[in-house]
Amino acid sequence: MAEINVENLKVVYRGVILALQGVSLRAGAGEAIALLGPNGAGKSTLVRALSGLLPQYDGRVLDGKIVVNGQEANHLPALKVAELGLTAILEGRPIFRYLTVLENLRAAAHKLTPQRQKEITDEIFTRFPRLYERRFEQGGYLSGGEQQMLLLGMALLTEPRILVVDEPSLGLSPKLTEEVMRVLNELRRDKGLTLVLVEQNARAAFAIVERVYVMEQGRVVFEGTAQEAQADADVMEFYLGGAVAGGFAEAKRYRRRKRWV
Amino acid sequence: MDFALVIQTALNGLANGALYAVIAAGFVLVYRATSVVNFAIAEFMLIGAYLTYTMSLFFPLLLAILLALPLAFLFGVLVERGFVRPLLGRNVVAVIMATIGLASTLDGTALILWGPDQKAMGAADVAQLPKEVPNLAFSLGGVFLSSKAVWSLLLALPLALLLVGGLKYSRYGVLLRAVSESETAALAMGINAPRVVAIAWGISAVMATVGGAFLAGAAGGGGPGHHLVLLGLIVFPVAILGGFDSVPGAVVAGLLIGLIEAFSQLYLESLLPGITQAIPFLIVLLVLLFRPYGLLGQHRIERV
Ligand SMILES: Nc1ncnc2c1ncn2[C@@H]1O[C@H](COP(=O)(O)OP(=O)(O)OP(=O)(O)O)[C@@H](O)[C@H]1O
Ligand SMILES: [Mg+2]
Repeated sequence: MAEINVENLKVVYRGVILALQGVSLRAGAGEAIALLGPNGAGKSTLVRALSGLLPQYDGRVLDGKIVVNGQEANHLPALKVAELGLTAILEGRPIFRYLTVLENLRAAAHKLTPQRQKEITDEIFTRFPRLYERRFEQGGYLSGGEQQMLLLGMALLTEPRILVVDEPSLGLSPKLTEEVMRVLNELRRDKGLTLVLVEQNARAAFAIVERVYVMEQGRVVFEGTAQEAQADADVMEFYLGGAVAGGFAEAKRYRRRKRWV
Repeated sequence: MDFALVIQTALNGLANGALYAVIAAGFVLVYRATSVVNFAIAEFMLIGAYLTYTMSLFFPLLLAILLALPLAFLFGVLVERGFVRPLLGRNVVAVIMATIGLASTLDGTALILWGPDQKAMGAADVAQLPKEVPNLAFSLGGVFLSSKAVWSLLLALPLALLLVGGLKYSRYGVLLRAVSESETAALAMGINAPRVVAIAWGISAVMATVGGAFLAGAAGGGGPGHHLVLLGLIVFPVAILGGFDSVPGAVVAGLLIGLIEAFSQLYLESLLPGITQAIPFLIVLLVLLFRPYGLLGQHRIERV
């Protein structure tokens, strides 16, 4: 049974802006999928819809179906979705900037017993020694990479079954991006997580997911395994701007060109 | 200079200041949690004082205060649920107007329920029950302190410090600070933001009740009356001096303003009659001009 099943989902903002125009996708239990697409394609909208956070953005599900972990979740409020075991790391590294690293972790661990909280926190600090060194620092003063690690730690403390991550590599160096992907992959395997990874950095995402969806203007325009995506000339050209050269900037330039013509 | 008099004035100032601190700390807590400026805070004090008074008709005063607190908490939660939450996300002016409207509504309600006359705490004929809180007035080496002042120092000050410590160290405090920063991010982590906010309103009402009941003379002399609403205005200068978004700042500022008032009463009042009442507001002008973030207002994290 699929952990996440989205069928023909339509989402509007402020009652008029149709951001998703009938999106269908699924992720099986323990599966990792990537969601690619240019700016404005609707990736983050899908993340918000999955996690029940659309009302926070004055958006709502107009039509279609979301099933999370066997439960229909179209209009479930965020707290109910969280109870189903879905945790989303939203776009823009939303740590609590005025809370220290430890306090951020504590806030995320609100449901755990002190015992369990300590176990997981220890595990996080073992995985990310850098966070331990900076545990009394306010989140706002961490580097982008550290903030992303902190968010992963916070997500772990919610003990999720399904992890949705929106553009974790944004603004990170290639080396750090690789590091974030490695950690995501490890976590996913260690915990048996279902992973939905929204990325602009297709190459990094391909390395750790089984299947790939490409979105454009509120629709899914490509769906296939990571291998198929890599073999698909369109997808590859689109994302890597040609055979190998690639890189984030070039792909972006290419995409912008394609958007305007 | 009369040394004993200075000590006595300082202690009395701190005693009053502790009440300001308690009320302002609760007021700032709500501002932190929801960015709502609760213009009905003085009415929270009024309602709290009347609740205490009503309880004092049936129970000894000390117990009456304790029993009024859960009622006050409930009252705060109800105000949040009924009045404030439906307005969240509207523009700031709408919310401000709403809390001002709430203030008048509560004023009127108190008038209808309890009448216009000033009440006396523990006035009822409850035979055999001790009507007054134990008299803790004392005199030592020329320093005299009223029972009311001692009770304020004994109860209000620890309560204010408890709130400061709780906000910094307790699990709820961490959650409240998280929610105050970003409700969306909190919800994404499964934090029950609506409940955290409702509890903040409840705590604020509890603090206002303690402050209100004591200012109304729960610990000796007097009782609630509508003059309490005017006394409640002191919350705004205290909060502004403290930095408006800082609970510790509100506590420090409350004590400071209590002290300044007491010494102004002692030394300035005879020279400039009426100055004592004006001083908190003069301080506000100075703060706004020279130190808009107050004593302990949050300094912004600028890196992105
Ligand atoms: N809160 C909002 N109110 C109105 N329109 C919105 C809102 N958020 C997003 N949109 C619109 O919905 C569309 C999809 O936006 P979304 O953020 O989902 O794209 P995205 O694929 O995540 O893009 P990016 O890669 O830039 O993050 C865009 O046209 C955007 O302008
Ligand atoms: Mg996005």
